[in-house]
Amino acid sequence: MTAPAASSAIAAQLIALFAVLMLVLQLLLVGQRMLLTSIRLFALQSLFLAGIAAVIAFFHGAFHVFVVAVLTVAGKVLFLPWLLDRQVRRMRIGQEIEPLLNFPTSMVVCAALTLFGYILARPFTALERLGNNTLAVAMALVLTGIFLMFNRRKAITQVLAWLTVENGVMLAAVALTTYGMPLVVELGIFFDVIVAVMVLGILVYRIRDTFASMDTSKLRQLKG
Amino acid sequence: MDALGALLLAAGLSGYVVAAAAGLLTARRGAIAVTLSFGLGAMAAASVGAAAMVSLLTHSAGNDATLQLLPTMIPSLRFSIRLDPLGAFFAVIVSLVALALSIYSVGYARHYVGRKNVGILGAFFNLLLLATTLVFLADNVFFFLLAWEIMALSAYCLVSFEHEVDEARSAGVLYFVMSHIGTGCLILGFFLLSQAAGAYNFASFHALGEKMAAGPRNAAFLLFLAGFGIKAGIVPVHVWLPAAHPVAPSNVSALMSGVLIKTGIYGLARVLFDFMGTPPNWWGVTVLALGTVSAVLGVLYALMEHDLKRLLAYHSVENIGIILMGLGASLMFLHTGHKALAALALAAGLYHTINHAVFKALLFLGAGAVLQSTGTRNMEEMGGLIRRLPRTAFFFLVGAVAISALPPLNGFVSEWLTYQALLRGFDATPSLFRLMFPLAGAMLALTGALAAACFVKAFGITFLAQPRSEAAARAHEVGPAMLIGQGILAGACVLLGLFPVAFLTLLDPVIAQLAGHPLAAELSLAGGLVLSSGAAGPGTVSTLGILMTGVALLSLPLAWRLVHARREQTRTGPTWDCGLAGLTPRMEYTATGFSKPIRMIFKALFRPHREVQREYDFSPYFAKTLRFESHTEEIFQTRIYRPLHGFVLRFSRRLRALQAGSLQAYLMYVFAMLLGLLLFAL
Repeated sequence: MTAPAASSAIAAQLIALFAVLMLVLQLLLVGQRMLLTSIRLFALQSLFLAGIAAVIAFFHGAFHVFVVAVLTVAGKVLFLPWLLDRQVRRMRIGQEIEPLLNFPTSMVVCAALTLFGYILARPFTALERLGNNTLAVAMALVLTGIFLMFNRRKAITQVLAWLTVENGVMLAAVALTTYGMPLVVELGIFFDVIVAVMVLGILVYRIRDTFASMDTSKLRQLKG
Repeated sequence: MDALGALLLAAGLSGYVVAAAAGLLTARRGAIAVTLSFGLGAMAAASVGAAAMVSLLTHSAGNDATLQLLPTMIPSLRFSIRLDPLGAFFAVIVSLVALALSIYSVGYARHYVGRKNVGILGAFFNLLLLATTLVFLADNVFFFLLAWEIMALSAYCLVSFEHEVDEARSAGVLYFVMSHIGTGCLILGFFLLSQAAGAYNFASFHALGEKMAAGPRNAAFLLFLAGFGIKAGIVPVHVWLPAAHPVAPSNVSALMSGVLIKTGIYGLARVLFDFMGTPPNWWGVTVLALGTVSAVLGVLYALMEHDLKRLLAYHSVENIGIILMGLGASLMFLHTGHKALAALALAAGLYHTINHAVFKALLFLGAGAVLQSTGTRNMEEMGGLIRRLPRTAFFFLVGAVAISALPPLNGFVSEWLTYQALLRGFDATPSLFRLMFPLAGAMLALTGALAAACFVKAFGITFLAQPRSEAAARAHEVGPAMLIGQGILAGACVLLGLFPVAFLTLLDPVIAQLAGHPLAAELSLAGGLVLSSGAAGPGTVSTLGILMTGVALLSLPLAWRLVHARREQTRTGPTWDCGLAGLTPRMEYTATGFSKPIRMIFKALFRPHREVQREYDFSPYFAKTLRFESHTEEIFQTRIYRPLHGFVLRFSRRLRALQAGSLQAYLMYVFAMLLGLLLFAL
């Protein structure tokens, strides 16, 4: 086995490991009851995403993917979790997450969705250059992320769920196109995410002001 | 196009922008805003018109001038314009009308000063002019649609300019909705075309229809017919037109009726003649039939109106019908390969397009002057205005004669050409469809007669006899700017009527481009003084000759009177009043009364309803009070649109159950949709 082939095999192994860890963290998020812990889990998940980007950048010599990795660390691992954390503490909301479906059922649903993600990704395995089902993991992240979004009551947990969906999309972008999307597009998405979270943060604040709660099911009262 | 033309065009287009901005910037000082924005608008219109005229006169085949207006970063959206003959011809129309309207508006918009934000009026007016010009000149699909939507939106803002009136708001919404549906059709149609062409610029669409399969080609035809038809106001999608035109400020009504609805005609001419190649027979048959129906129904509904501006709006439906008769006949001739006849019918349609733009704008300006000085649109409250607004009355009369297709004015020439094309079509085509031509011709004759009747009513009730209301009695002539605006259009009516051959020479590049057969030389006899209907045709006419003869014949009784003047005595006395004590306005013929015979003849269509209640003491012949109520039913509203409206409302009420107000439920919908699509993709 030649040296480049060996190094790319290592790269594939690392990527698969990180991707699976991302999925595991997602399932932990589904089962997590504490809000602050959820935020940390998300930060960790983003760290693994950054890791995948760094591995690609390192082994394929694509500099701009490295920029993506750095930005992911700065934004999703440090800045956004800090922002959400501060918001949770400042609003002094209860730590308990109240899901609509109970935890065991949620777990079963998420398992089904992950399976579905694998089925969906199957036709693409030939295209997928990173191998090892990265795309399938990405699909599963997106699907479970959306499930997480409507399975939670508190606005801030919905923001968190939406961020994991975004992580899934990023992973899919990395998985389908070897060197990621064009840097411009990635930067655009990245700043979108940050701005969106800030706006959502303000919105959450308003919701709490108006209803003295962050329970979005109370938005029902707005309907005329 | 030479440098001068390009410069004029660029100056004109940016002139509109400057005029709009000037209106907005000076909005706080109403009178200045009016003068500045409409004055600059008039200059811009003159500039664009001159550029378009130059390009039409100096045009040589295959040498269309293109111009990049703005740099762009968005792929395939290029702000490029092309002055080909068709676009230049319509640009001439819009600029001519815009020039007259802007001058008129300098006077007209004054009466809004202090009441409304005239800066906004000026800004949207100029924006509408700019967008309409760009619609005619745009060279690719995206730019065209962009200009089209700006045009629709600014027209919406202008229709609901007097938004404190309920009627204006609801008319605006109706226009908005219908215009949107039309744009949807256009987007789909252009999608089909660009799919076939693999490009988005209009130059690559030329004769594209030949390469398309029958299915998408026919679908594109129907989509464009619907999309442009809504804008043009073809029956049965005309309903927005009589609602929106009357409630807009009169200068805007004139612009909408004169030019805006012509964008639909432009679109049809562009797509059907330039893009679609040799058409199947049923396209021409459809367009001709729709045109005929629109013409007859338009004039019939116009006759029932006694709101002066609504009456004019229904006449727009009629005239669009006449234009479409020309275009439809031309399509049928193209199908059978009669190029000369196709050229004749197309020339008739396009000639009527500019004629209608000119005289309908003129009539709306007259109506605006009347509205401003009496404060009402209801003809039953007018009367006697010829003594109070003599010049406006004269200009309105010119417009009325022109729209009634009486020689020697312009309406006559284009309708004469339409007749010639239709009548000669019967001999030219062998198939059974040739029966369409004399039928359409007969309907055109009926339309012309009814239009004349309608304008006898409109002019007679509005301007003649005694004032029927206080307001009409106190009316007075409008200012010079408004008269100049009307005068320009009246002059154009006369010139277009007296010198048709000169105008057809101007139109010739357009005909050559669309029908592939230049025409002007064939139609010109006696050095351009006599108009013929083509080489084999029997018809010739000379409006100039008619005018000369008329003047000569009229001078005979005058000469007689001059000679015998001394022998005769003139005695002045009161009009005979049947022995009653003096004539009062209440005894005058009303608009409703005038149109009664026609209401009775077309009872099946109008479904007239009338109710008379009298109160009396001892005998019904000596009534104390009498209440009379009469109205007609608008069949399209009651039979098509109202049921449709009800259905949509009921359906939406059902759909509202989905809107539970719960965020989780909405997210669930998105998720379910996503899963469904993914399953579908598997």
